[in-house]
Amino acid sequence: MMLTLYTTDGGSWFKPGGLIEGRASWHLDEDVDAVEVRLFWHTTGKGTQDVGIVRALRTDSPDSSGHRDFSIRVPEGPYSFSGKLITLAWAIELVALPSGETERLDLRIGPQPVEVDLT
Amino acid sequence: MNSVAVARYRPADNPFASHRVEGLAYRSKGIHAAALRLRLEETGPRSAIVGPKGSGKTTLLGELASTLPGEPVLVRIEGGCRHPWRTARTQLPRPVTPNHLVLVDGAEQLGPLEWRLLLRATRHARILLATLHRPGLLPTLIECRPDLELLRELVDELTPVDAPTLIPDLEELFRRHGGNIRSCLRELYDVYAGRASVEL
Repeated sequence: MMLTLYTTDGGSWFKPGGLIEGRASWHLDEDVDAVEVRLFWHTTGKGTQDVGIVRALRTDSPDSSGHRDFSIRVPEGPYSFSGKLITLAWAIELVALPSGETERLDLRIGPQPVEVDLT
Repeated sequence: MNSVAVARYRPADNPFASHRVEGLAYRSKGIHAAALRLRLEETGPRSAIVGPKGSGKTTLLGELASTLPGEPVLVRIEGGCRHPWRTARTQLPRPVTPNHLVLVDGAEQLGPLEWRLLLRATRHARILLATLHRPGLLPTLIECRPDLELLRELVDELTPVDAPTLIPDLEELFRRHGGNIRSCLRELYDVYAGRASVEL
């Protein structure tokens, strides 16, 4: 199975309210129920991890080879940041269901191209 | 005694971040989750994983959830929970059937009456596994005994080869945390986050 994901301009920094445009492609060597493009944030660090899926675009019963162009509006927040206890990071992923095989593209969301440093 | 300032790691890059610690496989001197499946046939379908805090009971329980037969139901009762039985009951399916593999993390929080309620509610379960701090309530499947050697092994596995050497005296750390390995690893998170200094 091969999953690929890229943004149209190759960028990984997006301002709140902006558009993330790109293409998700797949070559499947087994039947899957669906493929899904998800924009989400997640936290890592000390303690329990948290995750929030902001938008999911599902394609049911996909062909063995195919692609989907996507255009997702970036929410106003939260910004990408790192403190002492957690990092909040954004990503967009292409997931094959139900196997869960995933291709992920890390993003930074915020007014500046670097994550907010809260330390 | 001197101390040195340390490099600061982002939480996401910290070698001791929870997602990395939770990704460690359970190990105990050659005993792995697969071997415990066989041992369960001797102890019976209602058994306990016994050990002190931070000894790997939760990690082992999570691994057994995917290796033992049955539909896993993970019941988690946090330490200091004010209503442990109510908390447990809300996580149990109704009814519990012979297809269910019930795994209770933190069963030592239950009082004697609550313990009987749990046994009654899960009497039809295919398997009941509970973590306890002391043996006695159920046949012991395994007793988790953390030791300094295990801490060294886990720290070696978590620390990237190119990371600066920030690890304090592990023997002293292990002693100070009373053998609680999870607690040791959380302190090492602080060291790599630059929130603690290393004593030399």
